[in-house]
Amino acid sequence: MRLALCSSVLLTLALATPKPSAAQSATDVAEGKKLFGGLCVTCHGFDGAGGAGPPLNRPRLLSAPDDTALRAIIADGIPNKGMPRVRRVTDDEMRQLVAYVRSIGKVARTPVRGDAPRGGQLYAKLGCSGCHIINGAGGSLGPELTNIGVLRGPDYLRQAVLEPAARLPKDNLAIPARGYNEFLPVTVVLRDGAEVRGIRLNEDVFTIQLRDASGKFHSVRKSDAVAIRKETGASLMPSYANRLVGGEIDDLVAYLSRLGGAL
Amino acid sequence: MVLAALVATVSAQAPYERLLKADSEPQNWLTYAGSYKSHRYSALDQINRKNVSSLKLAWAYQIQRAGIVETSPLVVDGVMYMTEPPSTVTAIDVRSGRPIWTYSPNIPTDVIVIGSPPVNRGVAILDDMVYVGTVHGHLIALDSKSGVVRWDIAVGDNKSGYYLTLAPLALDGKIVVGVSGAETGIRGFIDAYDAKTGRLAWRTYTIPAPGEPGFETWGKGSGWQTGGGSTWLTGSFDPELNLLYWATGNPAPDWNADNRPGDNLYTDSVLAIDPANGKIKWHFQFTPEDVHDWDSNETMVLFEAQIGGRERKLLAQANRNGFYYVLDRATGEFLTGVPYAKQTWADGLDAKGRPMRKKGIAPSIEGTLVFPNIGGAANWFSPSYSPQTKLFYQAAREMGTVYFKGAADYKPGTAFTGGGGRHIQGDDASGAIRAFDATTGKMKWEFPLLSPGYTSLLSTAGGLVFGGSEEGNFFALDAETGKPLWDTQVGGAVRGIPMSYAVDGKQYVAIAAGFTLFVFSL
Repeated sequence: MRLALCSSVLLTLALATPKPSAAQSATDVAEGKKLFGGLCVTCHGFDGAGGAGPPLNRPRLLSAPDDTALRAIIADGIPNKGMPRVRRVTDDEMRQLVAYVRSIGKVARTPVRGDAPRGGQLYAKLGCSGCHIINGAGGSLGPELTNIGVLRGPDYLRQAVLEPAARLPKDNLAIPARGYNEFLPVTVVLRDGAEVRGIRLNEDVFTIQLRDASGKFHSVRKSDAVAIRKETGASLMPSYANRLVGGEIDDLVAYLSRLGGAL
Repeated sequence: MVLAALVATVSAQAPYERLLKADSEPQNWLTYAGSYKSHRYSALDQINRKNVSSLKLAWAYQIQRAGIVETSPLVVDGVMYMTEPPSTVTAIDVRSGRPIWTYSPNIPTDVIVIGSPPVNRGVAILDDMVYVGTVHGHLIALDSKSGVVRWDIAVGDNKSGYYLTLAPLALDGKIVVGVSGAETGIRGFIDAYDAKTGRLAWRTYTIPAPGEPGFETWGKGSGWQTGGGSTWLTGSFDPELNLLYWATGNPAPDWNADNRPGDNLYTDSVLAIDPANGKIKWHFQFTPEDVHDWDSNETMVLFEAQIGGRERKLLAQANRNGFYYVLDRATGEFLTGVPYAKQTWADGLDAKGRPMRKKGIAPSIEGTLVFPNIGGAANWFSPSYSPQTKLFYQAAREMGTVYFKGAADYKPGTAFTGGGGRHIQGDDASGAIRAFDATTGKMKWEFPLLSPGYTSLLSTAGGLVFGGSEEGNFFALDAETGKPLWDTQVGGAVRGIPMSYAVDGKQYVAIAAGFTLFVFSL
């Protein structure tokens, strides 16, 4: 019993953010912010607000429930999830990065404006579930949105709705490999003149695999094609900029930001 | 006593004389790169342009422990000697694909392998022994028939970060090895050991000590003690000139030169060494004052060609830094240097081959985009030279990196790199297999690859170039035109090094990819 009590106390202590001395902590956070600026903002956004990678400005990070896990992620990345080991860091640099990441999780975030339930109704009205799955329901052509509120910040979600072609997703799927645009539209013109347009599922030196908008799968040998056009700057998802007014966009973003559970 | 006498009467399987004349027995593959000239060329032509489209799997061998396989197998008289990660040697009967023996050294669980994955690129064979370098910094001699240890010595202290991934090079009575570990601030060296006893014959440091030539290129600090200059790839040898050519790697810390101002000799160089005593006869530095981690540990191809109406003995290398170099290998004279991939760091090379660096290309806290990437336009993976086409074949990596500068605190056996980088990869990067006129570096053809990879190339008298891709393609191109003639999907990144051999009158091509060694034939 005493042992159990001790270990539960220890467990609580381990889960709580460690508290170094105030002066050391402030310097660590400042230095960590500089490092974060160089190494992390590209994906995680300024002040960790999120970008192509998940926002870090939350008190609870799904993949880093404690500082040991956070250090491991910074040191080794998360394989197959697009988080690389950006570079080796010294012990001091690691401490500083961890201090900064935890510090931004404590800052009260600007609440996401908009009415989430109204956003949910909009989602249904617009027919988004024709291409997106949430909690098992919907069509599978586009990215799954079940946890999108945890994986992306509100600014990214806003851009995805208004300018989906501006930035295709990357590093969410193990296939294709890291760094490749996901859901890239590709048009293939075959030797008989037939054209196939679809999203790229995978590719290698000699072959490319597509799924067209009707859901049909195509396996193409590049030598059977007279042209293969990779449409960077395009997306099969239409922009909703002209179909939503300001308040509606906020509502939709608020709804999407809630997907993935309580923050 | 009786046993010793018995051993003495049996003639050695692979004496030095056989290695010297490796070209004359194309059915075997006696040394890492096929021969001392490092052509990675097979004179076998049973598999050729006309029939390669029928190539199919003959057999496969799957490695015992998951890891990246970078092996270049040897085949000697029907037995293949290959290596598996991290430092395992396996002998395989090539007729059946069945292993005959396997040896794995005891690698401590706290082994330090910083700077590369824990891989092994192959063994050397000499007489009746097979030699392997290990990730815990040892060189081990095994009986070639049984895999039993003859001797086992520590080349460098792994606690300071020294380790070995390269295939050793067997010379006359000597085994030459280099070391890895610049990412932990080792002081690099090349060692030659007595093949029979494992006793050190000579050691040549790649970083000069105070008073030694080249020391003046390290500034006033103590940077030379942790200078790097690893020697982690198998060199080449010219027995007529009696020169051993060995390349050196990056200075340490990789991306931060604050404590090592100057050219940092002899990092990122080729050294021409007297194999009898290790003395440096000449050197050429590819990348002085390197801050991008552009090791010059790429294969050096030795070939002859006419330049200016005169037959010259040449050394060619497609360097990590994006330039293809041709040197006179007798003197080290720089003859040609041209870019073979996108590079944004130099305005070219001057008349002596020294790069004319641009401004603003050094790593920074906020990140500086430079081509080529950290892994280089080329790296350890083998080029091939065909004496038939006189072309130099190289897989090129077309990718930039945003280079970061960071702090570097030296602690033995820990990362001492001072920064790092983020690749601009995926659809923004690519690769290509390129064929150059070997003498001039002028490109004759290129075959596009989807991504920058680590594919080695094998050219053959059948008029073929074999190569692979990160996506698992393994294929044959027409050596004259680059046209693809055959391809297959092996299901894992092709990181192995291709070679060809023959047994019972049939030619085979072997390549490791994923966790498997694949062997193809007609």
